[in-house]
Amino acid sequence: MKALAIAAVNVRRTLRERTSLFFIVLFPMLLILVLGMAFGGTFEPRVGIAAPAREPLAQELVERLRAADGIDVRVHEREDEVVAAVERGDLEAGLVVPGGYDAAVTGQGRAIVRYVVRPGIQGQQVGSVVTAVVDEEAGRLRAARVASAETGLPFDVALGRVDGVAASAPTVTVAVRTAGEADFPENLGRFDLMASSQLLLFIFLTSLTGASALIETRRLGVTRRMLATPVRAGTVVLGEALGRFAVAVLQGVIIMSGAALVFGVDWGAPLPAVLLMVAFALLASGAGLLMGAVARTSEQAVAVGVLLGMAFGALGGAMMPLELFSRTMRAVAHLTPHAWAVDGYAELVRRGGGLLDVLPQIGVLIAGAAALLALASWRLHRVLAN
Amino acid sequence: MAVRMDVTPALRCRGLRRRYGDLIAVDGVSFEIALGETYGLLGPNGAGKTTVISMVAGVLRADAGEVSVAGQPMTPRTPAVKARIGYVPQDVALYPDLSGRENLRFFARLYGLSRAEARSRVAEVLETIGLAERARDPVGEYSGGMKRRLNIGVGLLHQPRLLILDEPTVGVDPQSRNAILASVEALATGGMAVLYTTHYMEEAQRLCDRVGVIDNGRLVAEGTVRELTALVGEHDRVVLAADGDLPAAAEKLRTVAGVREVSVGAGRLELLCGDGRAALPEILACLASAGVAVRSVELREPDLEAVFLHLTGKSLRD
Ligand SMILES: Nc1ncnc2c1ncn2[C@@H]1O[C@H](COP(=O)(O)OP(=O)(O)O)[C@@H](O)[C@H]1O
Ligand SMILES: [Mg+2]
Repeated sequence: MKALAIAAVNVRRTLRERTSLFFIVLFPMLLILVLGMAFGGTFEPRVGIAAPAREPLAQELVERLRAADGIDVRVHEREDEVVAAVERGDLEAGLVVPGGYDAAVTGQGRAIVRYVVRPGIQGQQVGSVVTAVVDEEAGRLRAARVASAETGLPFDVALGRVDGVAASAPTVTVAVRTAGEADFPENLGRFDLMASSQLLLFIFLTSLTGASALIETRRLGVTRRMLATPVRAGTVVLGEALGRFAVAVLQGVIIMSGAALVFGVDWGAPLPAVLLMVAFALLASGAGLLMGAVARTSEQAVAVGVLLGMAFGALGGAMMPLELFSRTMRAVAHLTPHAWAVDGYAELVRRGGGLLDVLPQIGVLIAGAAALLALASWRLHRVLAN
Repeated sequence: MAVRMDVTPALRCRGLRRRYGDLIAVDGVSFEIALGETYGLLGPNGAGKTTVISMVAGVLRADAGEVSVAGQPMTPRTPAVKARIGYVPQDVALYPDLSGRENLRFFARLYGLSRAEARSRVAEVLETIGLAERARDPVGEYSGGMKRRLNIGVGLLHQPRLLILDEPTVGVDPQSRNAILASVEALATGGMAVLYTTHYMEEAQRLCDRVGVIDNGRLVAEGTVRELTALVGEHDRVVLAADGDLPAAAEKLRTVAGVREVSVGAGRLELLCGDGRAALPEILACLASAGVAVRSVELREPDLEAVFLHLTGKSLRD
């Protein structure tokens, strides 16, 4: 109970400090945003489409586009809306199916589908997806028209036949198989990759620099005074550790839920994602406690904490993806807790893993946390026992 | 059959020793404080007062010797005994970013008070130390005197029978100082035993039933103020504010008839004389011949300063 009182004071003091709140919550969120905007390019381009509502074939084209991979189709009512949205940059591209499309394709006319696109490479990529869908549809309609002309069947019956034949007739397809798994799957949200690395980077940074609170408490003489009350040194150490842990978990929860709500970040399966964060937070608070037992001044703790926090983050793949590391460096990286947690989130976010898939990472983190906490408590005990 | 009175002292220290590296900070200190007694440890800076107090409060390990509080042995590893003591450290030991009330609540919990008890005791203590109105403000915004009062308040939360105050008036304005002394007097009157350290002899004289004089880690004398001043005998203390080569002048003064002790401070000479009035002309003549300009002369009846000078050859204040 007394340990909880000590932990609660830790949390209260941290929350009361404006600057620490900035570094604990706002700064990482900002970085998720900025880095996500700058580098998180793998999101789905938005394609607007306007098609006559009462023409079944036109609507069929819309459905086929919707079914296509790699684009995010949004239906608009009017042609000029689509064009305006593309001009504003709200859409990467737009497709306009003219009125009378059905009549044109079933009769003798020519249907011209207009494609509007923003300049740039993304427009070209979207163009190829859209063109492929439209080409396929055009082929289908052309075949139906030929069949209708040859047999005298009505167009819609001929179209049904064509679809039936197409399902059974041998066709040539190019089988594309990717070797290995994609490092960064196409459907990865633009902020997803950045979010987990910023989460880890900042939990660790905050925990290390948070050691200054511990040193400050000692310098103020408050720790000594706690020892003059009927409280064991072990309880004081436990309370401080719990306090640092609570701050780290609170930070993790705020960043995770904030990023999910504000940026739509996908953390993978919720339970393992949170457990992974909690295990990492436990380890980080162990490291912070050790720093608090070893550093002489709070300035020293902050300086060394920032340095170590950044170095571990960089080495552990919280700044640059581990996939870009050499084999040796990747092995070295796994001396940091970050690399293990990064692996865990990769498993959850990119490969849709579950709790079982990240148990090894959670295990390693908890083992590391236990070792650090034991070492820190022992050191702190000695410092307090004068 | 006589009624057997409880004679277990509030505090008993025996042969306390503590060294820091090569320095022996406390060297065999023994004393006792009776129930309800106010005991002063009087000595200059560095005498070892804080070190003694820290061992008594169980926050510092003693190299040798033992402390018992109301008959129970006290060490850093006996938390339960600590509930019997209210410890007020020399430096203000509070969270500056928490309010006065929050600080008190926190320590009340550590002293083992329940939530409800804590709430009512905190309110009472805030009244006692006169901070009820500022209870919501962060301690960092308090004046020096207010911080000191709150520092004492923490030691009162659990209503201990023994209160330990380590130089509670250092760096405090005269008004706050007076308030602190008055509240210590009130607590003592209420039956609390008090261990009070100071290097101000006026405080020891005003507050303490008995005084232990400490220097270089040793208790050099102990007794009531009357007993201690009697040690000096019929001696007066002469305090001179003077400019010039004071150490050389002090050498000469020691040869003056009637002068027993001479101590040199910054722009200050302190002498013990058998009869101050009689010796004064010769003292002044001696100083004049040594080329020392005297700015003021004070003649005092025996007091604890004189005791300290008599016992150690040094002045309490440097
Ligand atoms: N932590 C410490 N490490 C080394 N020396 C110390 C320490 N604390 C006190 N001392 C030394 O021990 C002596 C007694 O100090 P202290 O008990 O604080 O005296 P006082 O309270 O009477 O001023 C002094 O010489 C002081 O410098
Ligand atoms: Mg002291």
